[in-house]
Amino acid sequence: MIQTAKDMKTYRKKIKAALKNKFLRKALDNFASSYKASRAKAFEGMDLSALKGEIAQGKDQALTVLEDLYLRFKTGAEASGAVVHLAKTAEEANEIIARIARDNKVTSIVKSKSMTAEETHLNDHLEARGFQVTETDLGEWIIQLRHEGPSHMVMPAIHLSRGQVGTLFSDVTKTPVDLEDIDRMVKVARKELRPAFLSADMGISGANMAIAETGTLGIISNEGNARLTTTLPRVHVALVGLDKLVPDLAAALRILRVLPRNATGQALTSYVTWITGAVECGASATGKKILHIVFLDNSRLELARDPVFSEALRCIRCGACSNVCPVYGKVGGHTLGHVYIGAIGLILTYFYHGKDNARAIVKNCLNCQACKSVCPVNIDLPFLIKQVYRRILADEGSKPVKNTILSAVMKNRRLFHTLLRTASALQGPLVKKEAGVLRHLPFVFGKAHDFRTLPALAEKPFRDQWPEIRPRIQNPRFRVALFGGCVVDFVSPEQALALARLLAPHRVQMEYPPGQSCCGLPAMMMAEEETAAEVAVQNLEALEPWRYDYILVLCASCGSHMKEGYSRLLAGKPELAEKLRSLQDKLMDFSSFMVKVLKVRPEDFIQNQRRVAYHSPCHLCRGLGVTQEPRELLRTAGLDYAPCKDEDICCGFGGSYSLEFPEISAEILGQKLDHVEATGADVLVTDCPGCVLQLRGGMNKRKGRVQVRHIAEIVAENLKAP
Amino acid sequence: MEQTELMDRMKEKAGLVQALVSTVTGMEEVLGRTVGITLGQGGKTIVAPGLDPENLQRLEDLCRAAGLTVLYPPFRPHLSAIHTALTPADWAIAETGTLVLDSDSEDLRIATMLSETHVAWIPVSRIVPDTAALSARLIEKMKSGPGYLAFITGPSRTADIERVLAIGVHGPQELHILMMEEP
Ligand code: SF4
Ligand code: SF4
Repeated sequence: MIQTAKDMKTYRKKIKAALKNKFLRKALDNFASSYKASRAKAFEGMDLSALKGEIAQGKDQALTVLEDLYLRFKTGAEASGAVVHLAKTAEEANEIIARIARDNKVTSIVKSKSMTAEETHLNDHLEARGFQVTETDLGEWIIQLRHEGPSHMVMPAIHLSRGQVGTLFSDVTKTPVDLEDIDRMVKVARKELRPAFLSADMGISGANMAIAETGTLGIISNEGNARLTTTLPRVHVALVGLDKLVPDLAAALRILRVLPRNATGQALTSYVTWITGAVECGASATGKKILHIVFLDNSRLELARDPVFSEALRCIRCGACSNVCPVYGKVGGHTLGHVYIGAIGLILTYFYHGKDNARAIVKNCLNCQACKSVCPVNIDLPFLIKQVYRRILADEGSKPVKNTILSAVMKNRRLFHTLLRTASALQGPLVKKEAGVLRHLPFVFGKAHDFRTLPALAEKPFRDQWPEIRPRIQNPRFRVALFGGCVVDFVSPEQALALARLLAPHRVQMEYPPGQSCCGLPAMMMAEEETAAEVAVQNLEALEPWRYDYILVLCASCGSHMKEGYSRLLAGKPELAEKLRSLQDKLMDFSSFMVKVLKVRPEDFIQNQRRVAYHSPCHLCRGLGVTQEPRELLRTAGLDYAPCKDEDICCGFGGSYSLEFPEISAEILGQKLDHVEATGADVLVTDCPGCVLQLRGGMNKRKGRVQVRHIAEIVAENLKAP
Repeated sequence: MEQTELMDRMKEKAGLVQALVSTVTGMEEVLGRTVGITLGQGGKTIVAPGLDPENLQRLEDLCRAAGLTVLYPPFRPHLSAIHTALTPADWAIAETGTLVLDSDSEDLRIATMLSETHVAWIPVSRIVPDTAALSARLIEKMKSGPGYLAFITGPSRTADIERVLAIGVHGPQELHILMMEEP
């Protein structure tokens, strides 16, 4: 039985247990690496982003006419001898299927893989009514024998080792099975499951696509069990989510082009089966297959009308959002999901399985955007995850105290900054001066947080230093404003100072508009959307984008939030649209500005060829889509850039995430630092102060020899004296 | 695309997914190969739905000489007894190395699903570059009443245990594709 933690305390326990599972981590880790390579290969030479756009658009269109598509499908399929049902709820779907079984005097049932049947807990329902149900997909059979739910939508048993499977099979068959020999195990399944196929009265399948135009089901499989399930028994029941309806074959073929490629890196699965109506069947008295197609609503129609969440129904269940999720990679699907797992699972659980099952898991997202970038139908998964969290807070009517405090403080910039200054003054005795870190963690943190040192607040924030040091440039080439963000301003002003040093020789007049505040992303992360919107307006007013040629950011997270998040937050304020567009057009990350605008040259820098590794911040490479410029800048600035494994995988910071889930954050960070150390670099460079904080804290804690620096600092260090 | 190019692509792409592809000239060779493959695997039986009576007789003669048995429809009584299934394919899609089989006939389905080895011949003129090239025909087929259409790309496979690829979990363990040029 699937048991999902309903509160944070239970969830933390579950996470700790999952993190102890070394096999799981290794298996998922290997998978993540090989998946990346095989996916890239599978899409070689294809215009993936165009295809994604087309599918997403097609799906969105279909979602507006789902009921129509259903009726068209029903007409087509019934004309070909099928019976089509629509079940409002999971319970109703299960009952319809049980009734079909009873009416046809069925005793044994074979099933091929169906996430929709997992969603309705169909097996439990049928077994409780005396039917014998055998899962025939190898992975599903394994987890059925173990009484577990799937831990991945495409590879349900990915959490198990060959040894575990071998032991299970020898128990089931009462014959010893070689615990190393996977081929043999597969043959055991082939042999054991054959009789089930041959004797079954009913086959239950899912479907990947339901084509309204012709009433045709499209079923994708690799093993061939879906073909046997739909052919041998006299009755076939297909359980299909309403979201699987597509208007025509063209739409189905588009999905077919991306689904296997994105799921497993296969150009196509071994089998694709297209079933239209009731075909010939020698086992049935009439000579025709008894075919029932049960469509499941279970809130889909409501979801399809939801202005925010409808895009979740574009999902084609490729499982990719798990494959690339750093959290999934550490804890696996049984910990990151309910029935549906991974990013999409965090969202769908709320709608299909209720807020109790969603409450704790929905928080377990770093907002690293990896899932979003790999989703073949462009679902903004991290955004929707936060929106689910927001719904749950609203449903429960009581907010965590920290949300209330955060909102109150953040809406009032002066108060916020006064608090930070006070904290800076009070932290004195806690600070190890020379290292700029806190000697002890403040008492509110438990032991789990001790995986990194925390930086001290700067003695003097950048905003207070700036008026004294602001250079005045005669006839500037460019006027730029720096948007600092909280970390640069109050923790790491040296990063902004480095920027100022770099800009001066290029005759760039830099300004630091004092009215700027936090970018608001932390509020978004805590689902405090109103606060985030207020802060966005404050910043927009403070930055006065029309005064500048560029607005620079040293923090990728602030940058991508302003570029993308602000559009959503301010969508209801048309009077700000022009200002916002101006801000977004002028916004640029540090490296892009150096490379593309200032066009810095190697002769400007000391070519000392210091060996540096690079961490690519989530919000830079995926959020702002900047990948080449930082690497180019490092080379231009006379540094020896040493590529590192998984540069673009999250460092595990995620802002407040690392406070909520310190164990996972530590694990992700640890792996990142291992990769960095393996490059032999002296310095690890990145372009987000949040990442610097996390990476440096972790490096300090492990007493590693690699320095961690913001890219602006390391580049400024190599600048030749004028 | 030129026919030879299509054949090369088909061979390459189907080969990547463990299908065994070769070129043959005429039905004579198709039948001979099928018997040879079956003998080589120690199989005892062959089914051949979709063969015309004349070629079926030739297969029967070859099998008799080789000590093999041809099983005749309906195949339901032989569900566990089929070693080799010899079937035509209606189309082949070079882009993915896929065979397309109109599988309305239950005997054809049983043959291609429950055999240990599936041998399919495809006239080279019926290899198309991609699925789009077939879509009008597929729609026509789907609109023409009850139907079961199969895309087959390599033999049955799974990677459900530790993601290790294993061939032949539920369907045929070998898929031979004979691209047939007319003599
Ligand atoms: S944003 Fe990152 S952490 Fe969150 S679900 Fe997506 S991949 Fe996982
Ligand atoms: S949300 Fe996107 S990536 Fe995740 S399973 Fe669905 S389609 Fe695939």
